[in-house]
Amino acid sequence: MASALFDKDFLKKLEYLDLIARRLVFGRQQALRQSVKKGASIEFKDFREYSPGDDPRTVDWSVYARLGELVIKLFRQEEELDLWVLMDASGSMDFGEPNKFDQARRIAAALAYIGMSNMDSAGVTPFTSELAEGRGKLRGRGRVFALLDYLTGVKSGGKTDLQAVIRAFVSRVRRPSMVVLISDFYGLETARQAIDQLRFFKHQIYVIQMASPWELDPPIRGELRLIDTETSGHEDLTITDSMLRRYKQALDKFSAELRGYSMKYSIGYSLARTDIPFEEFLLKVLQRGGLVA
Amino acid sequence: MTLLAPWALWFSAVAAGVVALYLLKIKRRRQTVPALDFWRQLVGQTQVRSLFQRLKRWLSLALWLLIVTCLILAIGNPVLSFGRIKPQSIAVIIDNSASMQAIEQALEEGKTETRFTEALRALNDLTTRRPVRDEWLLIDAAHEARVITPWTLDRKSIHDGAAAIRPHGGTADLSGAAALAAQLLEGKKDPCIVVLSDGADGAVEKLAKADARIAPWIIGTADDNLGIATLKVRVHREESMHYVYVRVVNASPAAVESQLVFEADGTTVAVEPLAVDAGGEWEKTITFSQPNGAVLRAWIDRADALADDNEAFAILPPIRAAAVLLVTPLAESFFFEQALTAMAPLVDAENSRTLTIEEFDAAAASAVSADLAIFNNCAPAKMPASGRFVFVNRWPAEIPAKVNGLLERPEMVLTSRDHPLMRFVSVSSVALVKAHDVTLSERATILAESNDGSPLVFLHEAPDRQSLCVAFDVMESDLPFRNAFPVLLRNTVAHMVSEQSLWIADQYHVGDVITPLRALPSDVTAVDVARLNQTGVNEARTAVERGAFAYANTASRGPLRFTIGDDIAYTAVNLADATESRIAIVKPEKTPAELLALSDRLFGTVPWLALAAIAATLIGVEWMTYHHRWTE
Repeated sequence: MASALFDKDFLKKLEYLDLIARRLVFGRQQALRQSVKKGASIEFKDFREYSPGDDPRTVDWSVYARLGELVIKLFRQEEELDLWVLMDASGSMDFGEPNKFDQARRIAAALAYIGMSNMDSAGVTPFTSELAEGRGKLRGRGRVFALLDYLTGVKSGGKTDLQAVIRAFVSRVRRPSMVVLISDFYGLETARQAIDQLRFFKHQIYVIQMASPWELDPPIRGELRLIDTETSGHEDLTITDSMLRRYKQALDKFSAELRGYSMKYSIGYSLARTDIPFEEFLLKVLQRGGLVA
Repeated sequence: MTLLAPWALWFSAVAAGVVALYLLKIKRRRQTVPALDFWRQLVGQTQVRSLFQRLKRWLSLALWLLIVTCLILAIGNPVLSFGRIKPQSIAVIIDNSASMQAIEQALEEGKTETRFTEALRALNDLTTRRPVRDEWLLIDAAHEARVITPWTLDRKSIHDGAAAIRPHGGTADLSGAAALAAQLLEGKKDPCIVVLSDGADGAVEKLAKADARIAPWIIGTADDNLGIATLKVRVHREESMHYVYVRVVNASPAAVESQLVFEADGTTVAVEPLAVDAGGEWEKTITFSQPNGAVLRAWIDRADALADDNEAFAILPPIRAAAVLLVTPLAESFFFEQALTAMAPLVDAENSRTLTIEEFDAAAASAVSADLAIFNNCAPAKMPASGRFVFVNRWPAEIPAKVNGLLERPEMVLTSRDHPLMRFVSVSSVALVKAHDVTLSERATILAESNDGSPLVFLHEAPDRQSLCVAFDVMESDLPFRNAFPVLLRNTVAHMVSEQSLWIADQYHVGDVITPLRALPSDVTAVDVARLNQTGVNEARTAVERGAFAYANTASRGPLRFTIGDDIAYTAVNLADATESRIAIVKPEKTPAELLALSDRLFGTVPWLALAAIAATLIGVEWMTYHHRWTE
């Protein structure tokens, strides 16, 4: 495995990111996550009145001795948290220089590696209008090469149907997991509905909006025939300075709305410019926390 | 509408280019984008092309074609005549006189704009607002009228010819220019003479009234000018004084006060205060005592629109006693010699001589030269070519006076009492025994005549000769006339003997060609001319051919010194012309546009400029509609 996409330097950067992630995020040795569920662990969480059927071993006899009431101690449940990276592989992602799809694959690989090396299971699942099989439940660093081989072989193309994809995902993954959604999110209304489904199933969500420099500041003027990379549809337009100004304003508004929606529902959000190296991007994300903390 | 530059229509090919560009514009560059819906949503467009959208393209094309059309027409320099302007043969006369050098407006950095500059601009306006088929002729009306550009259809050569005209500081021969134009217009269809002038103190208006073909184009507005119109010197030999007559004219519509400064050889000798009424004149005779002669400079101490007439020069000649040659029978010489002796210091006794007619005829011409020659009862066999003479009772054949017989006891009547020669001469009780009955065959000034009209004392003046003839024997007249005759003789010496050079006049106008008044001696092969100005003396040599020379370097004012053989002659070149000083114009009843049927203006300016402005505006409109996506 030494493709141009994932070369030796990439692996070194992965290890570096992993170290950073361990120090910043994974304080404990094992991939333990505090679950919102109350269960069996050594960490006390709360008291509750005894009710028939409760495990008698959880009764706090010292309280019974003092107050004469049966209460049981509740402990925080320890639980594994799966990491799912849903990566947009539609035609619109195969755009820009540096390429959005390549950058998305690097980010997905890096996140998965960090997840695997910290003993969580991790998986990467590309999607277009359908959810691909992907590679899930990968544990241990040793599986990283298989993941990279897989990602190298993933091709981009086709349309996006995020709602259908998420519908398929929640039916496939029942247990609440951390879901990182990497896409350019064109068609924000559809994206919101899809993310709402993830929220409904208690998944922790983090969205990464991919954008190439060309999209942020298109260097085009004059009489153009714009061709959609996904649909091959076209539109004849006259691109003027004023139109470009309005385009940038609209793009900023689009990103702001996505960020606002994410903040409103405690969803992590990051804009990943493809001209910023993926490790630099991830470093910022890790330092800021919220993605794998 | 006529295009002055019809070749501009070749640019119509540009219109085809615009259409081609428009078609190319339809073939757009291809650019892939990640999501087209986003762009569609942004610009509010849909795939469906409405009729209006198609019209938007046609509107853009129409705008560009309109812009190209405006530009082509602007390059073509159109003339809007609406059928009333017909091609003509137009002779343009540019007044190049001194008054056209009047400053009309001061520009920045000390630069000024003269009427002549405005005339050149008017010429440009005239040629650009006339049909292209007009035929043009350009005449420079300076000291002499001359054709600058012969008949041509090429306006550029007219403009080039006008640009090459050098401003002239003297008078202009406008009537000569008009006559020349009329001569050159013979046989031409629809002739017209345009005179670009400041009116030349009404001269152009008179020309226009005399010839309906003349259309005056009056130029200028400035009227503030005080100018020296005349500066003349006369020597008063008896008083040993110079009498200087000066005349100043005021062209402005307001009274002007200033002062007139006189300098003799650079030294101020007099300052005269001036107070001239609006449009009026001021004149005065001032006496100077410069017995050894001097160059007199008079200047007005005031800046005005025309500087050329603020200064004038004159020569104050040295005053000397006259050498008189008396030719008479010796028996009658005593009376004349006594009369001449009594005239001292008018007469130089040492250089005056008495000869018999035989001695005179025998002597060489140079040996008997004198300021005045008196012939009493005798006449030379051949009259000298030049000089001043008094003939008593006889005269040579060159005098155009035929003797018909004798008049017995004629009664003498004064006919020119105010003539300088007859000053203090009284003939009221003169009784003559007899006199010649004379008939004059040429014009002469009769100073006294008999009661039946026969001239008794008359003055014949030829270009180089002045001859006072007395038609009777003085010695036979009675005592009253013998008392009066010495007074007549004194007047003759005082007024006829001149300090004027034999060779050139004492004053010339700017632009005059100075030629000798008479043939130069054969041994003179060149004449040295020195310009005496404040910065020094500029020498020039002029060749003499066939006893004559021509000195034409009189474009500027100032004194000149001519060295002709052993003689030195002085003269002065001046503007000194009241017509030039009167720079105020009289506004004509009709404008040039009305007189000459010039092209109409479009939005207040010449059509090409208006069309260019329209094109520029349309480009702005197209740009705006394009960027607002009202057009594509």
